[in-house]
Amino acid sequence: MKTRRAALLALGAAALLWIAWDTDADPVRFLRGVPWMLDFIRRMMPPDLAVLPAALAGALKTFEIALLGTTAAAAIAVPLGLLSARNVAPPSLYYPVRAGLNFFRSIDTLVYALLFVAAVGLGPFPGILAVVAYTTTSLAKLYSETIEGIDPGPVDAITATGATRLQVLRFGVLPQVLPLFLSYILYRLETNIRAATVLGFVGAGGIGFYLQTYLRMIDYPAASTVLLVTVLMVMAVDYASARLRARLV
Amino acid sequence: MIEVQGLRVVLPPATVALYSVDLVIHPGEFVMIIGRSGAGKTTFLRSINRLVEPTAGTVRVAGRAVTGADPAELRQARRQIGMIFQQFNLVRRASVLENVLAGRLGYVPPLPSLVGHFPVRDRAVARECLAQVGLSEFADRRADTLSGGEQQRVAIARALAQAPSVILGDEPTASLDPQLTGSIMGILRRINQERRLTLVVSQHQLETALEFGTRIIGFRAGRVRFDGPPARVTPAVVEAIYGDGGDGGGDGESGAQ
Repeated sequence: MKTRRAALLALGAAALLWIAWDTDADPVRFLRGVPWMLDFIRRMMPPDLAVLPAALAGALKTFEIALLGTTAAAAIAVPLGLLSARNVAPPSLYYPVRAGLNFFRSIDTLVYALLFVAAVGLGPFPGILAVVAYTTTSLAKLYSETIEGIDPGPVDAITATGATRLQVLRFGVLPQVLPLFLSYILYRLETNIRAATVLGFVGAGGIGFYLQTYLRMIDYPAASTVLLVTVLMVMAVDYASARLRARLV
Repeated sequence: MIEVQGLRVVLPPATVALYSVDLVIHPGEFVMIIGRSGAGKTTFLRSINRLVEPTAGTVRVAGRAVTGADPAELRQARRQIGMIFQQFNLVRRASVLENVLAGRLGYVPPLPSLVGHFPVRDRAVARECLAQVGLSEFADRRADTLSGGEQQRVAIARALAQAPSVILGDEPTASLDPQLTGSIMGILRRINQERRLTLVVSQHQLETALEFGTRIIGFRAGRVRFDGPPARVTPAVVEAIYGDGGDGGGDGESGAQ
């Protein structure tokens, strides 16, 4: 047993070393790059506050993309979450819906953004669609796992009163899952704001567009203002969301 | 009041929980179901309102067919069958009154109920039922802030709110201490005597069953092994229901409870 573990460990270490070679991961090369990075940071200072209004407008757009996209996804994911919950949906629906969700969830928000920019053109709208597409599948999965984990007792009790299927969902299931659902939605909103900051890179609107533009124009002081605004916005939303979630559960 | 014929229940994948049960329970009876864990008590009770789907046989309650009923008929049948549970099964985050109001779901218009609207008449029924179990002052408290005994009383109020002709109890006192057991069983006896409600309650404590029941039904390994008044429960009967000898009490042990 002990020798087998040692052999596995050695094998794993060897594999990681080979991967480092295969990907040109070279610590020396990284160290040689450090002065360049310091130079880069030095050239970003001081931030150019003249572009602050533009950066704030971009941040607002990003926030709007994340908020509208998350809200729409939170609603669309409810029926999908129910249909992919083992203890609610019949197997004839459960398996195909779950398979479909797994397929679409493996595509990242940024990839969706590329697709939707191609489909509907540049701007915040393809960004919103991308957020909806990814968040719907990820929330549906979280919803269904929550529904599968509920206490069956109240569901039995409500069923025994002669309630309809919808009434059983409303009075036996919903009160158990709602606080968790809200918590997941807030968490997705946090991650979507982070994800939406880079959507602008592919033309899907928001603050990322400004960051990319200033970097291309080699206007580093302006880019650093945009970066600062991004960091502050993400931190503010994380803080607010964490406090809200703490009150929910 | 309850007519059960040839009731057979096979729980997935292949556990026979009940073999072939024939029983007639008359109006006003206080039936105590006794037997070892896995003897089929819970399965029997849950078959009466089809929380468990019978494999074969028929169940009729108050003249209505429960088996073979379509979804609408089943809901009609269920609303006249109250049920209380070992774990109370209240909606923990909802208020006490909301929990009792759930007993009216079979009567109120379904659509308004989905947004939480209940007619004044049904709210009055709920409050009255809550008063009957002595918990009026707790109406607005969250259900999970109440003690176990209080929660079971809320569950009884919920069952009463259904205006049922039968109340089923699945080990309603098994998670309560002895003193509360007596108080809950006392409430059930009062309901039985004052409202002439038919009660069918499983009870793991033999003494309690004999004290409160007007009729004892003993299950063993998925079959009725005894059926008669408490006075006829002799040591030999107790041995036949609970003892280690005889027909191999291990049958149907798994999954039936």
